[in-house]
Amino acid sequence: MVREKIDALLDRVQKPARYTGGEMNCIVKPWESVDIHYLFAFPDVYEVGMSHLGSKILYDVINRRQDALCERVYSPWVDMADLMRQTGVPLFSLETRTPARRFDMLGVTLQYEMSYTNILELLDLAGIPLRSAGRTWEDPIVLAGGPCAFNPEPLHAFIDAFVIGDGEESTGQTIDVVRECKRSGVSRQECLRRLAAIPGVYVPSLYEASYHADGTLASFAPIDAAAPAVVRKCLVQNLDAAAYPEDVIVPYTEIVHDRIMLEVLRGCTRGCRFCQAGMLYRPVRERSVETLLRLAQRQFEATGYENISLSSLSTGDYSCLPRLAHELMQRFEERRVSISLPSLRLDSEVKETLKETQRVKKTSLTFAPEAGTQRLRDVINKGITEEDLISSVHDAFEGGWSSVKLYFMMGLPTETEDDLSGIADLAQKVVQQYFQIPRGVRARGLRVTCSAACFVPKAFTPFQWDAQDTLERLEEKQRFLREKMRIKGVEFNWHEPHVSFMEACFARGDRRLADVLEAAWRRGCRFDGWSDQFKYDEWIAAFGDCGLDPHFYACRERSRDELLPWAFIDAGVTQRYLWRERERALQGVTTPDCRQGCQGCGMQRMAESCKKHMGEAGAR
Amino acid sequence: MRMFLQFQKAQSVRHLGLLDLQRTMQRALRRSGLPIAYSKGFSPHVVMSFASALSVGISGDHEILDVLLTRDVPADECLERMNRVLPPALRASRVVPADDRHPALMGMLKQASYDIRLEGGGAQRIADSLEAFLQQTSVMAIRRTKSGEKLVDIRPMIHELRVAQRTQNEALLKARVSFEEAATLKPDVLIGALERFAGAQADAVRVHRTGLYGVRDGQAVPLIDL
Repeated sequence: MVREKIDALLDRVQKPARYTGGEMNCIVKPWESVDIHYLFAFPDVYEVGMSHLGSKILYDVINRRQDALCERVYSPWVDMADLMRQTGVPLFSLETRTPARRFDMLGVTLQYEMSYTNILELLDLAGIPLRSAGRTWEDPIVLAGGPCAFNPEPLHAFIDAFVIGDGEESTGQTIDVVRECKRSGVSRQECLRRLAAIPGVYVPSLYEASYHADGTLASFAPIDAAAPAVVRKCLVQNLDAAAYPEDVIVPYTEIVHDRIMLEVLRGCTRGCRFCQAGMLYRPVRERSVETLLRLAQRQFEATGYENISLSSLSTGDYSCLPRLAHELMQRFEERRVSISLPSLRLDSEVKETLKETQRVKKTSLTFAPEAGTQRLRDVINKGITEEDLISSVHDAFEGGWSSVKLYFMMGLPTETEDDLSGIADLAQKVVQQYFQIPRGVRARGLRVTCSAACFVPKAFTPFQWDAQDTLERLEEKQRFLREKMRIKGVEFNWHEPHVSFMEACFARGDRRLADVLEAAWRRGCRFDGWSDQFKYDEWIAAFGDCGLDPHFYACRERSRDELLPWAFIDAGVTQRYLWRERERALQGVTTPDCRQGCQGCGMQRMAESCKKHMGEAGAR
Repeated sequence: MRMFLQFQKAQSVRHLGLLDLQRTMQRALRRSGLPIAYSKGFSPHVVMSFASALSVGISGDHEILDVLLTRDVPADECLERMNRVLPPALRASRVVPADDRHPALMGMLKQASYDIRLEGGGAQRIADSLEAFLQQTSVMAIRRTKSGEKLVDIRPMIHELRVAQRTQNEALLKARVSFEEAATLKPDVLIGALERFAGAQADAVRVHRTGLYGVRDGQAVPLIDL
C-alpha cells in the first residue's frame, strides 16, 4: 500500500530520481537475513548526500557484515516532504522503501550546523519521537557522527548516542552492542548505558549540565557510572589498512561530486587556526600508492566513472603525489579516465605529463588565500604568501588558464580595513598578472572570481574563544568590500551573513539550544543551508520563544577559564595547545607545519604515528 | 561492428531523462569490458546513440541503443557482458550485430507502439468513446515542435488503437502511432485528443512504450529486425 502511494507521489515532485533508489551497486539484502537493520540518513537532498565520501565508507562497512544491512535515506525536498505528510507516507529507505521506524538503528551524519532542522524533519516524517526521552524499543536507536558531533550539545535531546571521530571501527562496535541488547532483551536504557561504554561514544542522557546566572556553563558531568567523564574521539591508526568502498553506488541522476573519490590521506598538519577539520582529523595518515592504485582500479571496474579525484583536506601534501599522479595517468589513459589533481605543489614533471596526456579542460584554478594581507594570514597561520599566489597564478595564465577562483573570509579576528582592502589589492594583482602575459600567449576571457565567506568561529580551534563579528559589522564590511571590488575582470561573491550568524550560534552552542532548534523547526525552518529556504526572522523568533540571545553564543568572547560545552570531548588537540595557538595568533606569530617538528598539539597521546615520530626526534 | 542493444526502461526508472540514461549507459559500457569506440577530442565519449529518446515519465521494454565497437564480438557475449553491469531496471533482452555502415536507426524509425493505462472515472468514458473517436476522418490537435505550435491532423498517424483491458477503475489502451520526423504523434497529444472527444479526464495516466518499428512492404516491422 505504502509502495503504491510512494509511486504515485513520484509523478508529482521535482527530481523523482532522488527517491527511487535501485542504482548500480546499491545493496539490497533480504530483510529477514540479518539481525541489525541500519538506516543511514544524510540530512540534505540526495545530490548532496550522495557526494559525501564518509557516507559511502560507512554504507560499505556496515553492508560487509553478515549480520547487518545498511540502507539509505536523504532529506526529502520540501515538495516531497509536504506531499508525504498530506498522504500519510512515512519516511522510507531508498533500497527497499521500508519505513524508517522499522530499522534498528538510524545513523545521521552531521556535516553542517545548518542541516540540524532537517534532522528533526527526518525524525518527524519517520514518526519517531523527536526527543530521545520519548522513544521506546519500537523506535530505532538514533545515532549521529561527523565533524559537528564534536560539539554535540545543541542536539543532545534528539540523539540517543553520538559517535565521535573516525567511524570505520566504532560504527561496528555500536552495531555489536545493539545487536546483543536486542537479543538478550535488555531495556533501551540499558542499551544506551552499554553504548556509552564504547570508546568515543557519547550518550547525552547520561550527563547533566548546570549554568551560572550569566548563562555560562557552571558544571557538566556524568550522572551514570557507565558514562565516562571524558569522551575521547575514535581514531583509525592505520588508514592504509582501513576499510574503503570498492563497489560504490553510481547514481542515475547527476550529483554534486559524480566521480571516483580516492581519499589519499586523512588529517592535515598545516595548522590553519580557523580550520576545524584541520584540528579534528589529526594526525595525518596516508594511504600507500599501491593501495590507492588498487582501489582506483576496483572502483573504475565497478563504476565506469570518467574521472578520479584525489580527496583529502590537503592533497598537495600527499608525500607520494607525483608518483601516484604518474601511475594513475598511465594506467587510466586508455580507459579515458581523467585525473583531477590539486593545482598547487605539483612538480614541473607532473605538470608536463598533465599537459601532454591529460589534455585537461582548462576550466578554472582555485586558490584560498583566506585573508587579504600577510599580517592577517600570519594571524590565521595560513602559510601562503603573496609571492606563492602570484607565481602560481602567473604559471596558470602562462599555461593557458584564464579563469581563477580566490576564496577569502571576512570577519577574522583582528581584521582591519587594511585587511579588507588587501583582498581587493590581491585581486587586482591577479588581474595584472594576466595582462602581463602577451596577448598571443594568454588564453582569452579572463575571469577572476573572488568569494568572501563570513568567518564562523568553531569548537576545537584556536578561535573557539573569539567573538564573531556582529551582523551589522559584517554587513558594513561587505558594503566596504563591494565598493573596493569594482575591478574589471573580477566578479565578487559574498555570503549571506545571517546564515553565518546562526551557524556560529550552533557551532558553539550548549544544551539549551535544543529548545531553540525545535522551536525553529516548529516555526517551519528546514533546509536552512539553502538561501531560498532560510527564514532568519523565524530563527530570531525561536530564540525569543526560549528566552535566549543568539549574540551570547555567536558574538561573545569567552575567557580562558570558562567551561566550554564541548570541553568533555578529547579531540586529540588539547585546550592548552589551542590557547597557546590563540595567543600566538594575536601576536601575529606563525606556527610551522608539524611535519617540520612536533608542536605539541596533544595528538602524541593517542596517535601511533606521532609517538613514532616523537621517538625518532628524541633519538636524534 | 555496431551493436544494437535492446533493453528495458522499467517503471521504477521511468523518471530518468535522456541525459541520465545516456550517462548510465555510457558508464555501463565502460564497465562491460567490450571494445567500445571513443570520440576524438578533449573530452572523449563513448560513440553511441539511442534509436529514440524516451521522454521523462515513460517506461519501455524494447528500447534500442546503438553502440560502435572497435572489433567484432559475438552477440551473446555482448548481451552477457552488458547484463552483468546494467542495473536490473535497465536489463538488456537482445543484441543484434550490425555493419558499421548500417544507417542510423533513428532515420528508419516510422512507428511506435504504446500501452496507455488510464485510471479513474474518466477512463471508462474514454474507453467507451474510442470507437466513435476512430470513426472520425480527421482529428485536429496541437503539436508542439521546436519551431512552435502547429495544428495538425493526427487521425492518419493512428495506425492501431484499441481497448485491451478494462476494470472498474482502469482502462488499458494499446496504440501504434506514427513516429518519424515529419509526423510524430506523442502519447500525451493522443491522450489529450481522446479526453477532449470523450469530454472526460483520467485521474492518472501511465505510458509504456512497447515497441519501435520501421516499415517494410507497407508492414510495420520491429526496428531491430529491419
